[in-house]
Amino acid sequence: MTTTRNPQTLMAISPEENFDFLFKIVLIGDAGTGKTCVVSRFKNGKYEESHGSTIGVDFSLKTVNIEGKQVKLQIWDTAGQERFRTITQSYYRSANGVIIVYDIAKRQTFTNLQKWIDEVRRYTGSNVLLILVGNKCDLESEREVEFSEAEAMCQFVPEILFVMETSAKENKNIEDAFVCLAAELMKRHVGNNVQNDENLVNLGQGKPVSSCSSSCNLT
Amino acid sequence: MYKIPENSEEREKRKLIETSLSNPNTSLKEFQEYATTNYGLINDDLRKEVWPILAGVDRRNIEPTPNLEELKTHPEYNQVILDVNRSLKRFPPGIPYEQRIALQDQLTVLILRVIMKYPHLKYYQGYHDVAITFLLVVGEDVAFHVMEILSTNHLVECMQETMEPTQRRLMFIYPIIYHENESLHNFLQKSTVGTLFALPWYLTWFGHSLKSYRSVVRLYDYFLASPHLLPLYVTASIVLYRADDIFKQECDMAAMHCCLSELPEDLPFEYLLEQATALYVKYPPREIEDDVDLMIKKEKEQRLIEEKQAIERRKILLSRRAASNNSSFVKKIIPQILMTKKSMFVTTISIIIGICAYYYKSQVLGVGVS
Repeated sequence: MTTTRNPQTLMAISPEENFDFLFKIVLIGDAGTGKTCVVSRFKNGKYEESHGSTIGVDFSLKTVNIEGKQVKLQIWDTAGQERFRTITQSYYRSANGVIIVYDIAKRQTFTNLQKWIDEVRRYTGSNVLLILVGNKCDLESEREVEFSEAEAMCQFVPEILFVMETSAKENKNIEDAFVCLAAELMKRHVGNNVQNDENLVNLGQGKPVSSCSSSCNLT
Repeated sequence: MYKIPENSEEREKRKLIETSLSNPNTSLKEFQEYATTNYGLINDDLRKEVWPILAGVDRRNIEPTPNLEELKTHPEYNQVILDVNRSLKRFPPGIPYEQRIALQDQLTVLILRVIMKYPHLKYYQGYHDVAITFLLVVGEDVAFHVMEILSTNHLVECMQETMEPTQRRLMFIYPIIYHENESLHNFLQKSTVGTLFALPWYLTWFGHSLKSYRSVVRLYDYFLASPHLLPLYVTASIVLYRADDIFKQECDMAAMHCCLSELPEDLPFEYLLEQATALYVKYPPREIEDDVDLMIKKEKEQRLIEEKQAIERRKILLSRRAASNNSSFVKKIIPQILMTKKSMFVTTISIIIGICAYYYKSQVLGVGVS
């Protein structure tokens, strides 16, 4: 059996599935920051309070329409506990986008970001896009991390594309976070096809080299 | 206590178990037999009596429960609280709020007591799923001793510093699948789905992944009365049973992970448990150990190769980026020049090989004719 494969993500493409792009997105961050709630809100539009802890990795699919293109997102939601990291690391490797989630009402989850960024640096492909999400922004009265601090972190860490505060509970910015990331991935994928470094063999998708590969960071 | 309506066969079995319980000379083997055969231990009132026997709890040595305040200083306290607070769906439906809160506090104490008594054992997310099952059935004092025994025996590998021993254990399912259904094994391997789908099953004895409370306690009957690695054989028997579903999936990691990790509600557990026992007899752990070690070795080699390639690719990309950042005009041309040079090189080599092949062929043929 032969299957067509998306050269960027190495995902098999079945002919009946209709989409223009397929990206793999991995959610990481400390335990209890709301990664699973963020995914569930994005995927089903629901806030599920009793989903339980994630053990290992959960997987979801969601297709979004961006500028008339069908963009399929493969979302891997990982366990936050440190001891699962050796297992979840193998899932970062082929990711196109990474979302690091922290909890704006828990300082520790913000100070731990550096560890997560190091993980991304060490284990992902070099052209992975990274965004930062400060979840639980509905808990304004319990806020322990100012948005300006997260923005400052963005300045210091060139890999971070942008930072956004979200609330899975009140459905704030959830869709936007995924769509913005997907749109940027799409833009780079189109512009970057020949320079695609994950797979040197690119069949039938050659496009002229564009200079927009590393200069788009919002830093 | 949660009670499920019983059919006539279950009522018959209940009578037998009750008789055995009232007889002080009943052997452990007899209770193991009840737990592993059809219907298991029927209901939670019987489980409350039999589980401690199966686990080997000495009821004369029940230690008093420390108070929650004393445990708050433990470094894992926050992680445990986080998981316990999110364990709502593991409680029987309709349980009153106050009762649930009280049970959640007991659960936190139960977990922390074990990891404080055995500092070399590390808490993992999912451990709370095992602990809650025992808390609900046998109560906090006995549950502590059951968890103590389980944590130092059945779950000891899962509680090590890293998950590596657990990952290795999970690999055991592949040789079993291979011997039973080679094409299924090859299909799964080709998809590179790995073993992660089964991680929560193994870590929680399926408690995390099954929606039906009834199925969870039935499996616990069985695991308590069986050799420690039986959960892996149940995993293998589930995968083998779902072969048709699996073959319908696309042979790719995501599709496969998705299909496998979602356990169907209507799995015939009595049958699957029987199968698992048969598989255990057929392929005991010590016999498939070598297969597993070989698999791990191969995987490591593959990973090393991939890592090297990734480093190379990264280097190339970085140098390209550096080059393209140098000048605005040149950067647009250089990659194309490089590309052209590269493709010219490849083309030249191919042509030379072609000519050589042609020359060689005609030579050989020429000799053959003359």
